[in-house]
Amino acid sequence: MNDSNRDIVDVLASLTLFGDLSRPQLEAVAHTFDEEWFSEGQRILRQGFTGTGFYVILEGEAAVRIDGVDRATLGKGDFFGEISILLGEPPVADIVALRPLRCLVLGGPDTEPFLNSYPRVMYRMLQAQARRLRNASQWRS
Amino acid sequence: MTGSSDRPFPPGDRPFPPGDYPLIVVGSGPGGLQVSYFLTRLGIDHAHISADPGPGGMFRRFPIFQRLLSWTRPYAPYERTTRFYESYDWNSLLAEEPENRSLMPEIMDGVSEFPSRPEMERNLILFAEKTGTAVRYECRWTATRREGDRFVVETSDGEYRARHVIFAVGAAEPWKPSTPGIELVPHYAETGPAQEYAGKRIFIVGKMNSGFELAEGLLPWARQIVLCSPRDAKLSVVTRSLVGIRARYLQPYEDHVLGGGIYILAAAIERIERHADGWRVFTRSTLGGADLTLDVDVVIAATGFGSPLGDLAALGVATFNQGKLPVLTPFWESATMPGIYFAGTISQAMAGLKKHGVPSNSGAVQGARYNARVLAEHIARTHYAWQAPRPRVAAKEVVPYLLSEATRAPELWHQRSYLARVLSFDEQEGVRDEGIWPLAHFVDAPGGEAVAMTIEHTAEGEIRPAVYVRRGGKVEEHVMPGDPLLDFESAEYRKQLRSLLSGLKGMRA
Amino acid sequence: MALSKQEKARLLAGVGLFSALGPRALGTIAGRATEVEFPAGRYIARQGEVGSGVFVIARGRARVVRGDEEITVFGPGDFFGELSVIDRAPRVASVVAAEPTLCLAIAAWDFLALLEENPKLMKAVLLEVVARLRATTEHIRH
Repeated sequence: MNDSNRDIVDVLASLTLFGDLSRPQLEAVAHTFDEEWFSEGQRILRQGFTGTGFYVILEGEAAVRIDGVDRATLGKGDFFGEISILLGEPPVADIVALRPLRCLVLGGPDTEPFLNSYPRVMYRMLQAQARRLRNASQWRS
Repeated sequence: MTGSSDRPFPPGDRPFPPGDYPLIVVGSGPGGLQVSYFLTRLGIDHAHISADPGPGGMFRRFPIFQRLLSWTRPYAPYERTTRFYESYDWNSLLAEEPENRSLMPEIMDGVSEFPSRPEMERNLILFAEKTGTAVRYECRWTATRREGDRFVVETSDGEYRARHVIFAVGAAEPWKPSTPGIELVPHYAETGPAQEYAGKRIFIVGKMNSGFELAEGLLPWARQIVLCSPRDAKLSVVTRSLVGIRARYLQPYEDHVLGGGIYILAAAIERIERHADGWRVFTRSTLGGADLTLDVDVVIAATGFGSPLGDLAALGVATFNQGKLPVLTPFWESATMPGIYFAGTISQAMAGLKKHGVPSNSGAVQGARYNARVLAEHIARTHYAWQAPRPRVAAKEVVPYLLSEATRAPELWHQRSYLARVLSFDEQEGVRDEGIWPLAHFVDAPGGEAVAMTIEHTAEGEIRPAVYVRRGGKVEEHVMPGDPLLDFESAEYRKQLRSLLSGLKGMRA
Repeated sequence: MALSKQEKARLLAGVGLFSALGPRALGTIAGRATEVEFPAGRYIARQGEVGSGVFVIARGRARVVRGDEEITVFGPGDFFGELSVIDRAPRVASVVAAEPTLCLAIAAWDFLALLEENPKLMKAVLLEVVARLRATTEHIRH
């Protein structure tokens, strides 16, 4: 018996994305997602490849790489893959592990039902997307 | 607990005494037997040890209620012992010699397409005997360390040294979460005969296949059954894949829906306490409902299994999933301790691309057996200078061949978007059949022009061929449409594939 | 000229953001939307202010201005302000009526309450935002 499941629940509790959930709900989330690890240099998302999952970073660092150029860095609490799932279009960037990356993963088809079940998580995601958009495009208010 | 064949394996000199070997295989379940078979065929000397008294691995004891979840069709569209028959036989191990192939249907008694546990065990014993796969039984791996460029595997018989070790030790070690009180109650693995539970109120922690298998087996005996875990039950008929509770175990679900004394709760368990002659379970709803406290006679933790990885984590093998599985490269090698490989059900720890959230069948025999062959070839190629045959494929055969593989190759059908048929394209060499490779390796590997053919299982449960083309250092994915009869060889497919491959070296443009 | 609740609902139904909603939800939003008239030249929203609400243009035209630069022009059916309401950051541009313009305004707290009560609306806003994110990334690639 070991404590790493509590560890995952504790890590989830510290992330903004899941910050509004109760402890039992966090346990349910921990049961819903799978855990995956990626070594340094491994690609997690690939430009143009369909059927991606929704990833939440628990540990480590990844780069958003477009045509070989690193455009952004993602770390603990950041998430990716959801845009491709929501829009039904493959990723336009690679996501590459810069350091060993520990993620929670949810399959594409399970992602919208998950967000529908947890509107608070959807709202946190919406806030994060709004911030990303503000940083990316400078003129819409 | 039903009996298993605890009789010792045929007596005689025990093979592989402690000492130095090029490679060691640990474990004699389907994974260990399969990888050892292929290593032998490739001419790679290795010691093969196992703590068990005979072959079979988990199938010497499990499943508890005695029928498997993997099927074998004695009568199928293809003749037994042919390659394409493998798609209809999820339980036989692979072999090159016809007399060693398709052993499972010979053994089944026709009662069910799912073999019984004893039939599966017999299948594996027969494979070991007929292929002459020698194993040193009752040799228990106790510890591991590094000495220079060797691994030292300590056992109850002494020390083994090798450059490379393949651990095929299964995932049959009972695992429980750290819920307060759960250490007091039995695990699925300790469940007794169904009659022992007559008239009892039973609380099963866990809603995956093992929990439902218990519930289904106890239906004729229990007074009341509760199945509980934080999230909703997932059903394979809903996910349209093998993810979730299999159709065979759905009776308790139907009883729950109809109100037959079976209750399925989505709740976290806060703690379990002794109470009167039984147990009191405190739950907290995950769906915003009331928190329930239940008094029951029996609590069983159907909370799954982990791999008995021993001291490998301390040695430097990174693990995940609460220590249950090792972190692996696309060739099932430890990501942090090169030279240590894994075969059998542990190969599921290499998740692959998991497209559309559909996992591979690496956790089961029908998937792991192909991984074992690919692993043996990888080790042979990488460490023993083995040259794969790489037969030439005539340019005009390329498209029909790839589409035939898409339509009927068992490696592709059992391991969707996980294993691929790879062809290479070169001016001098022409088109070569490179064999079966892990897709996770192909999509990121550098190299010349090449194509990987796979089968994809989409979100809606549709099956589609998917082609990956590497050209100019980039890999592009092309998913082709599905077909209601799963026939991917029509003129339309030939035309599409020809167009995708046009311009590749060695093909007439 | 005051708009009836039905007229407001019909106007909102034509706005992409709200098009996924059913009549009851549209009615609720219409009930919380206030009409505001802006004469030509009047600021509807100012650069640097923290967003106080979501605006839908019912009639007229408005210029989107950052500093001295005109970015674009909004017309009937266009909406703005939802990003500011969600992330509470100051507006990056001003919106100025180019001619007499009638807007439907939904206060920030009403809009957030609407999001919470209508997962479909929240999903629609989410899709709108990620589609725009994807468009900006495409822009980088080309």
